Amino acid sequence: MDQLFDVSLFAAALRMVAPILLAALGGAICARVGLFNVGLEGLILIGAFSAILGNYLTGSIAVAILFAMGFSLLFSLLLAYMSINLQANVIIVGIALNFLAAGLTTFALRAIFNVKGAYYDKDMKGLPKLDIPVLKDIPWLGDVLSGQSILVYAAIVIVIVLQFYLFRTVSGFRLLAAGENPVASRSLGLNVKKIQYAAVLISGALCGLAGAQLSLGNVTMFTEGMTNGRGFIALVATMLGQSNPIGVAGASMLFGFMEALSYRLQNFSVPSNITAMLPFVVTIIAMIFFKSSGYKNEAKKSSGSSR
Amino acid sequence: MLLEMDSITKSYGLVRANQNVNFNLRKGEVHALIGENGAGKTTLMRILYGMESPTSGQIKIDGKPVTFHDPTDAIKHKIGMVHQHFMLFPAFSIAENIVIGGEPKKGIVFDRKQAIEQTIALSEQYGMPVDPKKKVADCSLGMQQRVEILKVLYQGAETIILDEPTGVLTPLEVKELLASIKALTAKGKSFIIISHKLSEIMEVSDRITVLRDGVVTGTVNASETNEEQLSRMMVGRELIKLERSEAKIGKPVLELKDVTIVGNKTKPLLEDVQFNVHEGEIVGVAGISGNGQSELLQAISGLMPIDRGTIALQEKNITGASVKMIRESGLAHIPEDRYLWGVSKEATVSDNGIMGHLSRTSKRGMLDGKAIRTLVSGWVERFGIKTGSLHTKAQYLSGGNLQKLIVAREIAQQTPFLIAAEPTRGVDVGAMEIIHGELLKRRDEGAAILLVSSELTEIMKLSDRILVMYEGKVVGELDAATATEEQISLLMAGGKAVGQA
Amino acid sequence: MDKLKSTLQSLVQPLLAVLVGLLVGAIAILIVGGDILETYREMWKGAFGSFYFLTNTLARATPIILVGLGVALAFRAGFFNMGSEGQMVLGALSAALTALYIPGPGWVKIIAAFAAAVVVAGLWSALAGWLDSKFGMNLLITTLLLNYIATLFAGYMVAYPFKDRSGSAALSQTEMIDASVMLPKLFQGMTVHVGFIIAIVATLALHFFINSTTKGYEIRMLGGNPLFASYGGVSRGKLMVMSMFISGAFAGLAGVSEVLGTQYRFLDGSLTSANYAWSGIMATLLANSNPIGTAIASLLLAALQTGGMGVERNTDVPLEISSIIQAVLILFISAKFTISFIKRKKAGAKDGSAV
Repeated sequence: MDQLFDVSLFAAALRMVAPILLAALGGAICARVGLFNVGLEGLILIGAFSAILGNYLTGSIAVAILFAMGFSLLFSLLLAYMSINLQANVIIVGIALNFLAAGLTTFALRAIFNVKGAYYDKDMKGLPKLDIPVLKDIPWLGDVLSGQSILVYAAIVIVIVLQFYLFRTVSGFRLLAAGENPVASRSLGLNVKKIQYAAVLISGALCGLAGAQLSLGNVTMFTEGMTNGRGFIALVATMLGQSNPIGVAGASMLFGFMEALSYRLQNFSVPSNITAMLPFVVTIIAMIFFKSSGYKNEAKKSSGSSR
Repeated sequence: MLLEMDSITKSYGLVRANQNVNFNLRKGEVHALIGENGAGKTTLMRILYGMESPTSGQIKIDGKPVTFHDPTDAIKHKIGMVHQHFMLFPAFSIAENIVIGGEPKKGIVFDRKQAIEQTIALSEQYGMPVDPKKKVADCSLGMQQRVEILKVLYQGAETIILDEPTGVLTPLEVKELLASIKALTAKGKSFIIISHKLSEIMEVSDRITVLRDGVVTGTVNASETNEEQLSRMMVGRELIKLERSEAKIGKPVLELKDVTIVGNKTKPLLEDVQFNVHEGEIVGVAGISGNGQSELLQAISGLMPIDRGTIALQEKNITGASVKMIRESGLAHIPEDRYLWGVSKEATVSDNGIMGHLSRTSKRGMLDGKAIRTLVSGWVERFGIKTGSLHTKAQYLSGGNLQKLIVAREIAQQTPFLIAAEPTRGVDVGAMEIIHGELLKRRDEGAAILLVSSELTEIMKLSDRILVMYEGKVVGELDAATATEEQISLLMAGGKAVGQA
Repeated sequence: MDKLKSTLQSLVQPLLAVLVGLLVGAIAILIVGGDILETYREMWKGAFGSFYFLTNTLARATPIILVGLGVALAFRAGFFNMGSEGQMVLGALSAALTALYIPGPGWVKIIAAFAAAVVVAGLWSALAGWLDSKFGMNLLITTLLLNYIATLFAGYMVAYPFKDRSGSAALSQTEMIDASVMLPKLFQGMTVHVGFIIAIVATLALHFFINSTTKGYEIRMLGGNPLFASYGGVSRGKLMVMSMFISGAFAGLAGVSEVLGTQYRFLDGSLTSANYAWSGIMATLLANSNPIGTAIASLLLAALQTGGMGVERNTDVPLEISSIIQAVLILFISAKFTISFIKRKKAGAKDGSAV
């Protein structure tokens, strides 16, 4: 533990990237259909709690993951219904959803597990780790890439799948169209609402996975508010990556690495509060390099035109 | 008969957009549908294209009655529509835009290579060359329209509806379009063209149907009519000639020298624009939308910075000054797009009314309710603005009434210089007369007015001097008394007027 | 008549929301095996049952109202200021440090503490505004991220440099402030203090500012249509930084009022665990950024929270029941589920355009 930049740091980084990456991919899909999903934070939290719940009830990892995806999906359905059907402001609904998730998980923690603050069962099994056959023997890379939880590998695969889906398939092309110009899409007979629904639900499922990785991927426990801003960092990763799966993966790597680094720095007598600030400070600095489309464009979109 | 629309009526509540309209189309024919703004032309075609359902009436294709629930039904019956505002995806390529909805595929994979090949084949078949890989955002408006037409042809359209196709085209592009239409009809396609541009319609149509206030006032063969007869059917009355008094020109109020905005496209947005506007005169800027007029107005009012040149208002250099300072130096501005720039929809009539009048409706930083009420209700009366009360939100006012409010607000500032951009866009005839009257009154009081309009009749009616803009440059300056529509149109097209360098 | 009708209509929505909230709460109570009527009775008692509980609710409402007012201003200007928690914490820390280390008589310390809180919190908020104005950085995200940085920084300050090492407790907190700096209580033996009066005055002041001043007008127009505002000569950049500063200043007020009025020190996590700032944001959303409505909504939320504590004390239902009701309230309000919307849906989609 003397070196700062050693193998275990990078292995930890990869482990911590997964929740951010999965959520950011969800955010990217939503952004592609024109919805700014601020509720990622709450959706991940729901996923994290549901994963523990599923594990507690059945002891099965598969069920835990299904619980996580299922409940997050249910919540994202709420987001979808309110912003797409009822035309509520998607940002406000996202914020409300975060409140709801925090309140519900805290309530459920009390109601179901009868504890306050955190639930921890030392006998509960976490996500299984995979030792990839050939990979694990490569000198340095092998120790970093092999032995990660199954959801880390799932995240990597999903990046590739989404990249292929969006830019090579017909269905992905139409999803991009729906976000690029909903009016034109409708005039072609594309069901923009249905596409938006699908996008939000996909992001819900992805956030469920993110939450499962969070609560079952390292130490198996659920802590109140354990997402701790990751949902918002994921949103920044979405923006930095320009809603492009591979770009988002790159941006997420940066933030995951920062998080791992912040933990590692504690071993060097840097106060934990200061190290914990690191991911957030880096995120803000990174945002300087992403130019938001600007208020003029946003205003033009919302004010409509008399033409 | 290829298609027939029998006794179509469409009501929105109490408003009758179409009333018992009969319209039909023969195979291989070009049938124009003309009328003023709000006559009901677009509504009728939206019904034909399945975007709206008629309140009563019937559509028949090849003699068989049909009902369209949405555009896909119309497309199935080989009807295609090119909208006035293009329905394209700017970030996608031309090929992608053409094939969307019917993408060539291998399983679930989008075969983009096939799409490109099919686009090339299609464009060659119909003689409309395009670069399939080019992004639509990088294409000229004329090229974009070509893509729209190829798109409906790709979808198998035999009947093509064009809604105001020439509004955004340069005169050269208009020529190309009319030629394409003729070539396509030779190949058996049929066209319905919505327009209010009489000369173009006369050149390309076989038959012409005129709509006025939702009712058909006549269907004639193009060869048997002329523009005067058509305008009479469109307008229903002799056009009133507003008397304009002799101009009393004073000293220059607005002075532009070498104003240039480079922008990030190949051609500069504004190039070496130079002109003055004097006291007591209305300078009209004619030109097709998109030739730099918006940028010019934004530069003058301080909403857009310029790269080169100077702007002076009442001899004070306002280049690069803030909007606030420019307004305080004596500028008022009727914006070209009222919902985008001119109002806040959620705010009340009085809130919208006092923008720019804060100094006379407030004391020591606090709003004076009584002064506001007096000011705004005065306008409501004088301009006949129909509103529930001063507390009604702007979004509930009709376009015309909102425009009246904006015009009242800006004119009431009694500034030495006034920008009037598209002052009567979307406004009914009665309101138009009122607004025109007020503008002329300001001019007679000695104000300098810069009028920008895409309606040539409005320019010719109000201006003392006429400037023509084309591709960011002022290409001509004419005395309104002697200028003719032909001269102006030629300059708008980029041509050179007789006797000019 | 029109105005009465529209006022009534705008009340239907929040009332409906409260109803749905109580309904969902009832379901949650059933799930936990509690008795609905008994739970709600205890909730009412906990919030308003006695003078003590009532003043408790008012005391709790104080910081919520103040934060809510600040957020209301930012929202009216069109800015999603989500950073109230961080701003409040920095304000509270500054107030505590100023009260402890500035020399002079009590009243000087109080004024200095208020000033420090307002300025520091205001600047922290204005920072985000400046970043948006200068670099186009999304305000929603930056304010959220700055929250974490602020609370972590404050936690560090009281864990190391300014830690209270006098007592035996190893808590991350400052020393206690001198009695001369404490804000007086409004009633003997009750928890509510002068801060509540400040909150009420602030509510009226903000209401006046937004509706009757020219700056308030500019802020409203900026929030309504920024293009219209710039067309009219309103300077967005300057107004953004100014409204963000004022917004943060209100959060700072909330912080100093808690430190000088209730806690008498800065204790790491005390302000965040009570969720004052997030309740304030919720109140603003509930009241659609209307200052007086925000104050009322803040009282409502405070009552739900103190009521929840009453429920916790006297039944088996956990106090988090109130968080569920609160969150459902927000969700409902954000649905803009107005009567006219239902009417429009019933009129059918076919008559209107398909686009």
